[in-house]
Amino acid sequence: MRQILKPFLLLLTLSNILFSCTKDETTVALSVTAITVNNLPADTVLGINTTTGMPFSAGKYTFFSLERNAIVPNTDSASTQWDLAFASNKILTNGGTSGKGLGGAFVYVGLFDDLKSIPSDSVFKTDNAPASFAVTFGSGKGWYVYDQLTSLITPLAGRVLVIRTASGKFAKVEIINYYKGGVTLPITASDSDKLSKQRYYTFRYAYQPNGSKTF
Amino acid sequence: MKLRLLYFLVFAPICLFSQVTFVKDTIQTQGDSVVVTATRSERKLSNVTVPVTIINAQSIQQIGALRLTDILKEQPGLSMTSGFGAGVQLQGLNPDYTIILINGEPLVGRTAGVLDLNRIALGNIKKIEIVKGPSSSLYGSEAMAGVINIITDATTKTPLQSSLRYGTYNTIDAGLNNTLASKFIFYQGYYNYYSTDGYSIRPSSASRVTTPIKRIATNQQFKYNLTNNTNLLVGLRFTNEQIKNELSVTNGGLTINSNGEEKNTDYNIASSLNHRFSNSLKTSFRSYITQYNATQNLLTISGAPYTDILDHVFNRLENQTDWVVNKKLTAIVGGGAVMEGVKSSRYDSEKIRKTNTNQYAFSQWEWIPNSKLILIGGIRFDQNQTYASAWSPKASMLYKINKKNRIRLSVGQGFKAPDFRQLYLNFTNAAAGSYSVFGTAQAQKVIGQLNSLGQIGTLYNNFYQLKSLQPEYATGTHVTWEFEPNAKNNFSFQLFRNDIRNLIEVQQVGAYITGAQIYSYLNIGRAFTTGFEFEAKHQLTKQFSISAAYQYLETGDKDQLAQIKNGTVYTRDANGLSRKLNVSEYVGLPNNSKHKAQLKFNYSNQNGLFGNIRALYRSKWAVNNTNGNEVFDDGDSFAEGYIALHLSIGKDYMNGLGFQFGCDNMLNYIDALNLPNLPGRTFFATLKIQKSK
Repeated sequence: MRQILKPFLLLLTLSNILFSCTKDETTVALSVTAITVNNLPADTVLGINTTTGMPFSAGKYTFFSLERNAIVPNTDSASTQWDLAFASNKILTNGGTSGKGLGGAFVYVGLFDDLKSIPSDSVFKTDNAPASFAVTFGSGKGWYVYDQLTSLITPLAGRVLVIRTASGKFAKVEIINYYKGGVTLPITASDSDKLSKQRYYTFRYAYQPNGSKTF
Repeated sequence: MKLRLLYFLVFAPICLFSQVTFVKDTIQTQGDSVVVTATRSERKLSNVTVPVTIINAQSIQQIGALRLTDILKEQPGLSMTSGFGAGVQLQGLNPDYTIILINGEPLVGRTAGVLDLNRIALGNIKKIEIVKGPSSSLYGSEAMAGVINIITDATTKTPLQSSLRYGTYNTIDAGLNNTLASKFIFYQGYYNYYSTDGYSIRPSSASRVTTPIKRIATNQQFKYNLTNNTNLLVGLRFTNEQIKNELSVTNGGLTINSNGEEKNTDYNIASSLNHRFSNSLKTSFRSYITQYNATQNLLTISGAPYTDILDHVFNRLENQTDWVVNKKLTAIVGGGAVMEGVKSSRYDSEKIRKTNTNQYAFSQWEWIPNSKLILIGGIRFDQNQTYASAWSPKASMLYKINKKNRIRLSVGQGFKAPDFRQLYLNFTNAAAGSYSVFGTAQAQKVIGQLNSLGQIGTLYNNFYQLKSLQPEYATGTHVTWEFEPNAKNNFSFQLFRNDIRNLIEVQQVGAYITGAQIYSYLNIGRAFTTGFEFEAKHQLTKQFSISAAYQYLETGDKDQLAQIKNGTVYTRDANGLSRKLNVSEYVGLPNNSKHKAQLKFNYSNQNGLFGNIRALYRSKWAVNNTNGNEVFDDGDSFAEGYIALHLSIGKDYMNGLGFQFGCDNMLNYIDALNLPNLPGRTFFATLKIQKSK
């Protein structure tokens, strides 16, 4: 028994060394740093309609390129320049019914730092408006919860938006806050503050430019 | 309605009777109270094996309590909840799990599991008994956390008694109590009128938190002694509430008003025929009929009228036989049948009454092997038409170590049957996202039909797990040590633990093609509540006494705790980044305060002068899962801890006249969001006139 095992053990050790070597090297080579984006406006509230009593806004998305860490002008909305589009609590990816790109996404339950590589059996969804979206829309279903009592939106902890960009590269995104200045308003805040300060995204992301699924 | 009321007022005293205790059984005690709830038979408090609290009429009067809520909120171990009326939480268990009895018969008419305790006027109450711990072995469903039994006064020696009270927010309470007694017939009638303008404690809102309410209540009791050994008792209780609803929603300067009226009526007729065969054998046949009807009509300025009806009937026939086998052994054997039915706008048709029948049998044996020890064992079996049957065993003991020390120990299993809402709800909320909730009796059929019409988008795995609901079960253990070093001091210390399984929880089972959620009920939850209670009383002088109480409570959802330990529950750090939640950050079940304490000073002298000041403290409690991680933790919203300070002083004169003045919530503590039932500082003055003896 022992004699049979020995070569195996040796092989195991060897492969271990080999593997860990390559692994270490790739990690160094592929290491991507997380970038934090503050106060990204997403169709902010402009006022209140006096007849319906409902808040109104311009109804326009803010387009964002993860690759360039920059806002993309609305004139380029029909291009593959952008990866994510934000309007109130909706997040679109550049694919399916939303855009010309290869974009897609899914919501991963876990920690941003723990997601070192996208599991191979992951299924990316694409936008299929209005029935479904790659980044699931709705309270408690995707990245946030909405509290009817306090009218506040809180991003869910332990949710990572795994994004396939317009060009088919991969990124991971964690939404940190939905309010101006990156601080959720206290429940006692005035209704006008709750309206005027919402729809400002603070999020961090890591973008992998080499096309691999590891971060 | 008025006609019906008139009928009751006129005829009830003539043809109806009451009270469920034995005439001859009144145990002669000196300073030791009598308890009936603990064993379904009269026992001295010092001989009861389970933890019992007795609130007597005097303490109800001296604090100026009007409604059942007013007195229960000042009891150690209890706290009040504010959704769907005022419910009571007992040792951390929700209002659904405490049965509320009037003279041993259950009150019905719960909304979302809560029985509004403001429905019960306290004017003719002799005492309230609170039994802590599962008591289903005697009382069946709902007696899972404990039992609150309200015992009306049927032995008053005052022929005529009236009171009038006026207080803040135009609150008026008027009561009249009348007794007539001859050798064979005893009659007592009680009438109560209560009204309040309600109040608004939100500065920016015109709508009142407590809306204008008018309540009428009457209680008629009649006892007829057929022979020396047989009597017939009939009790009739009727209450009517009219609540004005004024909702005004202001949004961006635009106000939408809707108003309407809510009418709740509630009556019950309890009759019993009691016969004593010998000194060691007696039996009692009881019939109980009760109906609760709640009708809500709302009219919005822009929109269709909205009507919501709930109508609950509960009829019961029961026999209980008490047998004294010998000096050391006493037995109780009983059984009965219940026919129950509910009609509701929230079921598939408000015209069809959903019904359920239940048969049960119970037995309890009390063994007193020596003067120091009492042992009680009991068991009850409930068989049911719509859900699985339930066994409820219980064992308890009292050990009198010596004159100064006593130990009580009880272990029991309690259950709560699935209620009608969990079985038959068929409700789609058009106002909030068109989600639907279906009771389990019909969920699979209704959702199946919707599916064949192509309206269902997705069905979750748990949809296929839907089956007839099981009762919820709790196992409770209570250990109490009582120490009475002398006549001036007494202490009690109690450890308790309740383990609950099979909890019925609302779960999403699918979604419409529109994405709107579909919910039903599943037996999935496991939870616990545990802690200790400490009570102390010290008699400073003949007139002056101090009492103090403290409760420490820990609660938790066992499945959530397991998830936290597995590292699959998240929260955020100071920088807003996600991290795993630690078990130490878990706060357990919502609406539960870890610490509750009270301190009461009481004065009462021989000339009828009395006064008291009561401080009640409750530490912070979780109200809302703001961070959305589905468990309550340090990162969620809490209501802040607070102290409520109440004062009452009064004087009763020998000629029957009495005055009382009080101030509730002297510190003017207000938390509009979390304590809607606590108005700011309020005052009241009461005048009492009673015909001298």
